[in-house]
Amino acid sequence: MATIDPIFVPLKALLHREVARFMKVATQTVITPFVSSSLYLMIFGVSLGQRISFKEDLPYLAFLIPGLVTMGCLNNAFQNTSSSIIAAKFGGELEDLKAAPVANWQILTAMGLGALIRGFMVAAITWLMGEVAYYLVFGEFLKVEHWPALILFLALGGFVFANIGIAVGFWARTFDQMSAVGGFILLPLIYLGGVFFSIDHLPPFWRSVAMANPLLYMINGVRYGILGQSDVDWLTALMVTTVAVIATSLLALLSLKKGSFHRW
Amino acid sequence: MHDPLCVVNLSKRYNSAVQALRDVSFSVKSGEVFGLLGPNGAGKTSLISIIVTLEKATSGEVRLFGESVNSHSRRAKSLVGWVPQEVINHGYFSVLEILRFHAGFYGVRDAEDRIQQLLRDLDLMEHREKKVRQLSGGMKRRLMIAKALVHDPKLLLLDEPTAGVDVELRFKLWSYISELKRRGLSILLTTHYLEEAERLCDRVAIINHGQLRAVGNTHDLIRSWTRKYVTLKLNKPYSNLQHPGLVRGQEKEWVFTMEMDKPLGLLLSELKIPSDDIMDVHVTEGSLEDVFVHFTKAEVQ
Repeated sequence: MATIDPIFVPLKALLHREVARFMKVATQTVITPFVSSSLYLMIFGVSLGQRISFKEDLPYLAFLIPGLVTMGCLNNAFQNTSSSIIAAKFGGELEDLKAAPVANWQILTAMGLGALIRGFMVAAITWLMGEVAYYLVFGEFLKVEHWPALILFLALGGFVFANIGIAVGFWARTFDQMSAVGGFILLPLIYLGGVFFSIDHLPPFWRSVAMANPLLYMINGVRYGILGQSDVDWLTALMVTTVAVIATSLLALLSLKKGSFHRW
Repeated sequence: MHDPLCVVNLSKRYNSAVQALRDVSFSVKSGEVFGLLGPNGAGKTSLISIIVTLEKATSGEVRLFGESVNSHSRRAKSLVGWVPQEVINHGYFSVLEILRFHAGFYGVRDAEDRIQQLLRDLDLMEHREKKVRQLSGGMKRRLMIAKALVHDPKLLLLDEPTAGVDVELRFKLWSYISELKRRGLSILLTTHYLEEAERLCDRVAIINHGQLRAVGNTHDLIRSWTRKYVTLKLNKPYSNLQHPGLVRGQEKEWVFTMEMDKPLGLLLSELKIPSDDIMDVHVTEGSLEDVFVHFTKAEVQ
């Protein structure tokens, strides 16, 4: 007779499903980011980067790599949860999930972890590509200064974006709405969060605008992890990122409670 | 012991214009197959959606094995298997993966034996690596049923399980449903195939425009709400047979209607036809369809 474990078995099944889903479309979920980060590195890092005079003793390529790593992780975490939910709405699987005795926290945790696994895979690929580019230009590898900080900031940022993806997945009524959130809100926030530039180079007004972007803190947290230095002090970055995790978790929970599980 | 399903004064209003259910109450007893019958749009699927918590009732309550679906939903849900009317498309996943995930959602550890058993029972073994879109319509239905049974539920909700299914598979599904009942499962079945309901259901409820029109033992309903038709074939022509149950007739063939529980002999003695004159008697009993028409037509008038 099979036994029942209402806590870990559903959690494991939900997580397994999330990972299996994005692995089945690996071309789209893992290979595409590989191509796009290679292009960024070649154009901005290697080609243009050598002409940009940046901070003393910090090549532009070294500044860029943590930004691209974070961007890849966050963007893919968002893509994973939002498209998983929307695909499940399309096929009707979300109705199945509603009828099953799974708790909202289980759905949130499993989706968050699934998104994080994809985010980390893309981050790792981007980082490896960055190391290859760095080696080609400077003849040595870029050394990671603080591994725990790197992993912590990527994980917290990934959770924030996974949560936003869950909320968007539940509220969106069409594919268009989902890509609108991704393209018109999140991508600009990521780009303007200091992936490609240092806020030290901005005029005071734009600097304070940039400081209001929570993405800046996640990106700079990761930058601190890799380079040991960043535009924002790491403790401030940690506090802002933690607040963002809590706020977006509540948002995701609310959308699970109030959002529609109905098929399209 | 609590009834597997108890629906109490349930109403559902989608917006001010659409009232899908009005004060519906009934219960499904342990071990029975209960049929929920009604024309399209009668409210059957709305009712199922409320049971599985996909929709919230406007008022009233649903209890599964004594637990309210709203306050103790997880415990209640784990005892129920649901086969939705529309096939669920699991995109990238194979039959086997779908069943494993589904067992996982219900917390079932070591589900493998049960999954293999269901694959055999529902003739899906050789299709276990296929994805939903590679399955035929019949296989998709069977997969939906396997999925609903993977956690060994005590109540099965079948929402039009044989809609759009060919005759052969329909018979197979009927015998499988009977088999499940023999194993002790309680079943709520919605259908608009009345033959299906008459064959499978111990009790039925007839619902129309969101209201419960009749509920009861299938055979009792047929007995109380239909009449039997008696066709007499005679050896010699009669004219002018007088009887309150006369439907039509001339010369050697006469048709009468009478209540289901009245004996045939009563009709014959009332007609005073000597038995030598009777060549043949043909009796047609009422069906669930007659009951259904009776209750759903009344609504139109």
